[in-house]
Amino acid sequence: MFDRDVWQEIFNTLKTNKLRTFLTGFSVGWAIFILVMLLASVNGMQNGFTGQFNDDATNSIFIRPGTTSEAYGGFEAGRRIQFKNDDIEYIKKSFPDEIEYISGRYFASATARYKAETGSYSIQATHPDHQAIEKTLITEGRYVNEADVINKAKVAVIGRKVAEDLFQKEDPLGQFVTLNNLPFRVIGIFTDDGDDNAERRIYAPISTYQQIYGNTNNVNSISLTYNPNFDLTEALEFSNKLEILMKRRHKIAPEDQAGIGVWNYAEAFDNISSFTAVLNGVAIAVTFLILIAGIVGIGNIMVFTIKERTKEIGVRKALGARPSQIVNLVILESIFITAISGFVGLIFAWVILALVGPNFQTDAFRDPSVELSTVIIATIILIVAGVLAGLIPAMKAANVKPIVALSDK
Amino acid sequence: MIEIKDLHKSYKMGSNSLHVLKGINFKVEEGELVAIMGSSGSGKSTLLNILGMLDGADSGEYILDGVPIKNLSETKAAQYRNKFLGFIFQSFNLINYKSAAENVALPLYYQKVPRKERQEKALKYLERVGLKPWAEHLPSEMSGGQKQRVAIARAMAAEPKVLLADEPTGALDSKTSYEVMDLIQKINDDGNTILVVTHEEDIAHMCKRIVHLKDGVIVEDKKIEQVRAEQYV
Repeated sequence: MFDRDVWQEIFNTLKTNKLRTFLTGFSVGWAIFILVMLLASVNGMQNGFTGQFNDDATNSIFIRPGTTSEAYGGFEAGRRIQFKNDDIEYIKKSFPDEIEYISGRYFASATARYKAETGSYSIQATHPDHQAIEKTLITEGRYVNEADVINKAKVAVIGRKVAEDLFQKEDPLGQFVTLNNLPFRVIGIFTDDGDDNAERRIYAPISTYQQIYGNTNNVNSISLTYNPNFDLTEALEFSNKLEILMKRRHKIAPEDQAGIGVWNYAEAFDNISSFTAVLNGVAIAVTFLILIAGIVGIGNIMVFTIKERTKEIGVRKALGARPSQIVNLVILESIFITAISGFVGLIFAWVILALVGPNFQTDAFRDPSVELSTVIIATIILIVAGVLAGLIPAMKAANVKPIVALSDK
Repeated sequence: MIEIKDLHKSYKMGSNSLHVLKGINFKVEEGELVAIMGSSGSGKSTLLNILGMLDGADSGEYILDGVPIKNLSETKAAQYRNKFLGFIFQSFNLINYKSAAENVALPLYYQKVPRKERQEKALKYLERVGLKPWAEHLPSEMSGGQKQRVAIARAMAAEPKVLLADEPTGALDSKTSYEVMDLIQKINDDGNTILVVTHEEDIAHMCKRIVHLKDGVIVEDKKIEQVRAEQYV
């Protein structure tokens, strides 16, 4: 294969057919260019997705109670499940090593008023850990802390939008905002990369709201993060264990999907990975279809070349070239053309992506780039394409009779 | 060296069948220099094709250096050609983008001789045909006579049992023809077996034996007094 004689021959044929080689090589280069652009786009989408999900801790799990759909453990179907503070303690105790942060959530909505300004906002009453789980960014002041929860303090952490709406140019910190006519002291302001709506939210200590709404221990949902070192399998295993445990505790049939909802971000990631894998597959398939034009082109040019070189091939055979040696030569030449033109397309796409890529920074699409895997895939496709393109011409060449060497035409 | 018994060959031309060789019998001993003569259509080219394993016979026997040549696969035929035969063509058939030395080394390449050894041998045979200084030249830079001498060096490089020359002087003027024949005679003097297909009387008489073909049969097979080409050079 790495024989000087072989390469000399390949270069000679390419040299004598420069334009033809260029034109057919172009179609292959173009196909690879498209492949790389498509794969980079998929990559950009993947980055976009990942970026969006990164807003929340990616190792988080949300548990919501529901209504049972099956009779179980002596209870009828249709029973509403209610989480209490005990549930949080129970989970903490059951998974002391797995749990990183855990917080209950109590949902409410409130009409907020400061001086003449009013607005309607959703309230999330939480434990202090909630900040880490939601990755809430405090820009001023602080988040809800343990003391607030113990004292059932009437304090509020307001979103940037809330601050803008109600306080206009005033500094909200330390001011009192009334939520449904109860005064809450503003202790912090937060922002959220995720979206503006999240900034129209108000956080308060969970115990405060449990007291306001009937002095209960009720919790609307539980969020937690697990050991960030877990891989996907471990994460899914953990959320399964958690689900089983919670279902047992609340006497819900193990297969009842409605009784309790455990929402693991890892699963979403799993889905995204398989989604982008499908997209990658589609990109490769599309490219291969485009490549067929190039394969036919190269096959065509080589059938031509071999026709022109019939006599030379005949002479070689008369001198003792075996058919397999001739076939190898042709296939190698074909792979060479496809590989060179393909890599030109690859480099071209890479340069364009490097220049244009950084300008694409939207939520759903960012940092489209060529990865090593793309290069490897492209190389494999090119070699396969080269072999396919060389197949028919090689057979033609192998069928050349050495007798043509003797005929003087 | 070569033994042919009752060789028949016919070609299908549409519905007709053209009987080209109608029972050829002849023997060539080692070291002979045989001219095969005949007008066009006499079957001499077909005979050479069969001798060169470029074509198969319909019936009859062909034994080359004790090896029966029959029903060869392409690969086997290629191997035998490489091992047993050296070809000299009328139109030289050098590969135009290879230097003289590379052309001579080509049969050795197909014998998988290592590169260095190939080059040494190629130079040795170029020296023998008097073209060592031209080793790095391309065929396009040489005269017809020089090209044919390169082709002869190429035919000899693989050290074959038999050299087959198909109208080796057909494309050359008479002076260069004699030069080439002089070379062929000298190679024969060293003990090589050579078959020359020609239709030129003077060339045929520079061989040691003339086989005359007419309408697919041997009409005359005689040993002759060799005319040395040297005197004309």
